[in-house]
Amino acid sequence: VRSQQYPPVRALQASAVLRRASDEHKKEPLTSSSQQHFDSPPAGHQPEQEPQGPHPSYTGQGGQESEDYESEEQLQHRILTAALEFVPEHGWTAEAIAEGAKTLGLSVAAAGMFHSDGSELVLHFVSECNTKLSKLLEKEQKLVQLGEAEKKPLDEFLRDAVEARLRMLIPYIEKWPQALSVLLLPRNIPSSLNLLTSMIDDIWHYAGDQSTDFNWYTRRAVLTGIYNTTELVMMQDSSPGFEDTWRFLENRVADAMTMSKTASQVQSTGEAVVQGLMGAAVTVSNL
Amino acid sequence: PRGGASLRLCSTRGAQEGISKPVIDRIIRVDHAGEYGANRIYAGQMAVLGRSSVGPVIQQMWNQEKVHLKKFNELMVAYRVRPTVLLPFWNVAGFVLGAGSALLGKKGAMACTVAVEESISEHYNNQIRTLIEEDPEKYKELLQVIKQFRDEEQEHHDIGLEHDAEATPAYSVLKTAIQLGCKAAIFLSERI
Repeated sequence: VRSQQYPPVRALQASAVLRRASDEHKKEPLTSSSQQHFDSPPAGHQPEQEPQGPHPSYTGQGGQESEDYESEEQLQHRILTAALEFVPEHGWTAEAIAEGAKTLGLSVAAAGMFHSDGSELVLHFVSECNTKLSKLLEKEQKLVQLGEAEKKPLDEFLRDAVEARLRMLIPYIEKWPQALSVLLLPRNIPSSLNLLTSMIDDIWHYAGDQSTDFNWYTRRAVLTGIYNTTELVMMQDSSPGFEDTWRFLENRVADAMTMSKTASQVQSTGEAVVQGLMGAAVTVSNL
Repeated sequence: PRGGASLRLCSTRGAQEGISKPVIDRIIRVDHAGEYGANRIYAGQMAVLGRSSVGPVIQQMWNQEKVHLKKFNELMVAYRVRPTVLLPFWNVAGFVLGAGSALLGKKGAMACTVAVEESISEHYNNQIRTLIEEDPEKYKELLQVIKQFRDEEQEHHDIGLEHDAEATPAYSVLKTAIQLGCKAAIFLSERI
């Protein structure tokens, strides 16, 4: 079953060029017996799959694709994942991507597949973090459903979710300000905004939000504010274990809870006042 | 030599069994907005005509709309669809339309009902057509819901006609204006 969305020839050619150029870095000989890979067809993208055995053969017989051919997207995914290891040293740059490509046995020319400002690397990282967060929240939800864990109160849930997500930045915290500036490039704003909003929506979904009115927007706006400000505080935090950041987060979440409680109190007071006035009006009209 | 290939940045929400998220999103968002607006329209009509002879009729239609809204609230949560930003606006606009048409008299209220229900029925029919064209099997549950609601809205339309809606002064002008408003509301709620 083959399900590719890209013209296979281009991917083949690109990969073949990289393969030939990296001959001196090759760890294993190109196997012509690509038959052993028939049972692992690529389907969409598989983020967590590491190549188990010999690399899939790109240059099949006479330029024909083999059943196990990897799409360009999957290849890029693998390169970027490998590149993350070099970010603390090189930053979110083409150098990091080149180093990552080298560890996969590809030529450093592979970095030419990407923009030179490291956009794809940052976006890839953010996307991976969001996926990790979703999986974590889903796992916790299952535990609660099975009765093996207590359901957290809302403020604790939000706090823990934001903290878990921000902790994923810790290994890259030195270079994170650079990443933030990349995310704010006009070219990247649609993607980074999309990633941010779907992450926040995910957190609220697992928190059990079922609002279908304007609250839907208010809640997400508030949580986005909390997340962004806490992220910025984290950039400047030098306390041990980022305890200042977590305390800031706790206070912001508490503020949000208070704000919503106050809002509903104001509303009920307002309704009571209106009812009182109506009663008074009726009384006066009956005098 | 920039490849320029676009990285597919996966949103964390996976597709539910091959259902097209953008299609479902729009459908549920606009239907939810529609039922919400219909609720407010009847609320406005009841505020003015609640104690008149058509009060019970309007109340009964309102109750059915409440059931519709409840169903779409459930679907919205189940499919994780975003509600339209314009809800506060439909809140006020619906009530004003209902109360305004009721101030024209009982026939005016019925004319408004006829116009709105006709728009909604046509809109539901379009959605049924779209879903059937896409894949009737995949969208079976949703199709069932929309078909049932379309039948009930059609009933409301007929009740409106029974209560002399067409005898309203300037009936065709009123009807056209309201239906234009409904078309605009549908267009906006699908997108924003």
